[in-house]
Amino acid sequence: MAFDAHKECMSTLGDDALLVAFAGGDAGAARELTQRLAPRVFSHAVRMLGGDRAEAEDVAQEALLRLWRAAPGWREGEAKVTTWLYRVTANLCIDRMRKRRGGPDLDSVPEPVDEAPSAAEEMQNAARAEALQGALNQLPDRQRQAVILRHIEGMSNPEIAQIMDIGPRAVESLTARGKRALEALLSGRRAELGYEDDD
Amino acid sequence: MKTMTERKDDIDLDLFFAAAREDDPAPSTDFMARMEAQALAALPDPAPRRSLWSHLMSAVGGWPGVAGLAAACAAGVWIGVVSPDGINTLFLLQDNALGTIGVDPLSGFDLAMMEG
Repeated sequence: MAFDAHKECMSTLGDDALLVAFAGGDAGAARELTQRLAPRVFSHAVRMLGGDRAEAEDVAQEALLRLWRAAPGWREGEAKVTTWLYRVTANLCIDRMRKRRGGPDLDSVPEPVDEAPSAAEEMQNAARAEALQGALNQLPDRQRQAVILRHIEGMSNPEIAQIMDIGPRAVESLTARGKRALEALLSGRRAELGYEDDD
Repeated sequence: MKTMTERKDDIDLDLFFAAAREDDPAPSTDFMARMEAQALAALPDPAPRRSLWSHLMSAVGGWPGVAGLAAACAAGVWIGVVSPDGINTLFLLQDNALGTIGVDPLSGFDLAMMEG
C-alpha cells in the first residue's frame, strides 16, 4: 500500500524534482525516471542512428548513465532534464555516426520497399515510416536532428534551440532545409508509397 | 482528395511524420529492466539523518571547539571556587588590596533603575 502511494506520488513530480530525489537516494525516483526517460531516449537514438536498435540501446544506456552521474550536482529548475538528455543522446549518436563513416554507410539505410505492383495497395504506416527513416538517414546530422525533434518528437523551436545550442532562427533554417531535402528524396518514390492512388 | 492548386508531385510530409510517430520504436522489456537495474545501482547513498548532537557539534566547531569550551568552563569554575586573594599581589604596589578597590555591588545607575 505504502509502496503504491509512493509510486503514485512519484508520478506526479516533474523530472527535475525526481532527479533531486534520485540524488537523495530514492529508489522510487530512479524507477519512475527510467520508465519516463528510457523509452524517449531510446526512440530518439533509433531515429538518429538510422534504425539501428542495438546501437541505440548502447547510446541510451550511456546517456542515462551520464544523467545519473550528473544527478548529485543537479539544481532544480536550472535546466530541463529532457533538454539535457536529448542533447547528450544526439551528441553520442553524431559521434558514433562520424566514426562509422569510414566508408559509405549503406547498411543502415533501409532497403527500398518492394516495387511489386501490389506494393501501393499494401502501403501502410510502417512502410511510410521506414521510407521516411531512409530519407532522414541521407540528411546531414544537424538537419536530421532538427527535423526529428521538430516534426516527430513534436518539440518547440526554442526547446530545440536549447538542445542544439543554436538560435531559434537557425532551427527554422535547419528544419526548412531538411524538409525540402526530404520532399525531394521521397517524391522520387511516390509510386511506391501509394501516392498515385491518393487523388 | 487533392485540391486543384496542389501540384501533382507534391508530397505530404505530415503523413510521413505522423506515420513515424505511430511507428515509435519501443524498447524491449529486457532493455528496460537493464536500465532500471543500472539506475538503482547508480543511486547515491541516502544522506544520513543528522542528530541534534551532531548539529551542536558542528555549531561549536567540532571536537576542538568542544574541548575549548570545556576548558573555558573549567577555568571559570576554578576562578569562582578558589579564593581570589592571590590577585591582591597584583595591586600591592598601589597599596590597594581587592577588598579596598571598592567594588560597588549597587552602582548609582542600578539604584536609579530600581527606583523605576
